[in-house]
Amino acid sequence: MLVGSLLLFVGFAVLLLLGAPLGVALGAAGTAVILTEGLGVMSVPTNVYAGLAKYPLLALPVFVLAGMIFERAGVALRIVNFTAAVVGNRRGAQGLVAVLVCMFLGGISGSGPADAAAVAMVMIPGMAKQGYPRAFSASLIAAAGSTAILIPPSIAFIVYSILVPTASVPALFAAGLIPGILAGLSLLIPVFYLSLREGWGTNHVEEKVPVWQSFKEASWGLLAPVIILGGLRSGMFTPTEAAVVAVFYGFFVGMFVYRSLTWRDVYQVLVVSAEISAVVMIIISLAGVFAHAGSTLGAFDAFANALIGITANETLMLAMIMIMLLIAGMLLDAVSIFLVFLPILLPIANAFHWDLVWFGVLMTMNMAIGQFTPPMAVNLMVTSRIAGISIESTVRWVMWFVVAMLLALILVAAMPQLALWLPQTLGY
Amino acid sequence: MNEHPDQVSSHNGPDHSRFPVKFEEFFAAMAMALICLITFANVLVRYFTDESFAFTEEFSVFLMVVLTFFGASAAFAKNVHIRVSFFVDKLKPALAHKIEVVVMVVALALFAIIAWYGVKLLLDDWNYETTSPGIGIPQWIYTLWLPLLAALIDLRIAGRIVRLLRHKVN
Repeated sequence: MLVGSLLLFVGFAVLLLLGAPLGVALGAAGTAVILTEGLGVMSVPTNVYAGLAKYPLLALPVFVLAGMIFERAGVALRIVNFTAAVVGNRRGAQGLVAVLVCMFLGGISGSGPADAAAVAMVMIPGMAKQGYPRAFSASLIAAAGSTAILIPPSIAFIVYSILVPTASVPALFAAGLIPGILAGLSLLIPVFYLSLREGWGTNHVEEKVPVWQSFKEASWGLLAPVIILGGLRSGMFTPTEAAVVAVFYGFFVGMFVYRSLTWRDVYQVLVVSAEISAVVMIIISLAGVFAHAGSTLGAFDAFANALIGITANETLMLAMIMIMLLIAGMLLDAVSIFLVFLPILLPIANAFHWDLVWFGVLMTMNMAIGQFTPPMAVNLMVTSRIAGISIESTVRWVMWFVVAMLLALILVAAMPQLALWLPQTLGY
Repeated sequence: MNEHPDQVSSHNGPDHSRFPVKFEEFFAAMAMALICLITFANVLVRYFTDESFAFTEEFSVFLMVVLTFFGASAAFAKNVHIRVSFFVDKLKPALAHKIEVVVMVVALALFAIIAWYGVKLLLDDWNYETTSPGIGIPQWIYTLWLPLLAALIDLRIAGRIVRLLRHKVN
């Protein structure tokens, strides 16, 4: 049994470090253990299918599609124009607009890189004219875009809920809202400090758009989160249905209101979103094999007990987990980290009687910070490419935002009510 | 979410395959479109008639499995799966190339096992006349696709191994 457990963890780690696709590393390690320990090879195809065929998981591909439809329809640009018109021209104004728009689009899309890409494309050129260095803008938008996985809807929370059924998707969505807003607002501290110090944002180069006109154009986009979250809150829709309604709404707006979508675009969006979702869901599917092998052997509990054996101090354990997740978050995405770490972390969380909704929010905040912490930072890679700069050049700016969001994380860790108040008030 | 950087850059990544990856793209896109249409129809029907056709759930979940395997197959052809390339990138190209071949052979073996024992699962469902939990149609209609699509993925992986072996790195 010990040999089997070792084979499971070491086999997985070696394959992962050798650059095997994550799903293959999980599936192959699990299958190897099932074969050598004689756990019954039929459990391999059974768990591949069962790991995937879960109704709540349907929300994942559909939310990916919804986010993409809105992006292609040109919602981001109109919301940027409206927010800029409201905020006006002042020091740091564009930085504030970038953060607000990222957070707002996070309320439509559940994916950090998608959110960051949409805002970076619209905003970085304009910010450059106002004197903001491109490396700063790329860092800021990468950081602000990461709030998309905290602010509902969030693909990370959907996957967490699949793995932790006691934490329902609506409860997690509600719990992520305040920490997500906190994380976004924390970025404003460095934005204003740096803008004042460097004198960014005082050039009057952009012509002013009237607030009312920009509001009319943006209103269709502004309604989208209302439909998604309102539909969920009223109990009218399941998360999957809310996502589907958002897809049709975005399709309608892009096709008939903004007239920016063509049928060819729609097909392209279907292809790209199906593929992005498939890449994630095949990992979930193959992780089913890994999870089956590990739990049958008792490997996860043994590992967790070994970790609890190191320290019985709750705060120290939480800090250790957070640091481990931050490091993992630099190398892997949120969904992958849940699949790899949750089997081990859940017994620990239960041993300390941590609220599993709060724990999910904390984990996801770590993932969000990992999305823009160099060297391996997906959001930063996306925004740097759009800005046409190197990742190295962003380091002097992006560390400000890492520290700022870490403060928000510590706040939520110290005060669980920041996450739990809203879902409790709403009765989830 | 955090797609791997490769993936973000190559939504329509280089397709070196002889057999066009548009094949998988088409079926994955159609599965996605069908999921949306069925679910939306279900919402409308429930709204107007207070009834819901429960079979949509079972069928949508099946479509999601199909979507995942077609999409994963395309992703193998385009090499856009999520992976940690951080350490391998630091190695000499010739060594990294050899490792990539080994890793792909592991993937080939994994999906071969899924396909082979998937056939056994299919035969079980056929022989015992298992019916689906939701709408009670023969389960093998769903199970059939697991070995079929796992085999398709294996063809893509094999194609990638062949291309890797052809392009030697020095």
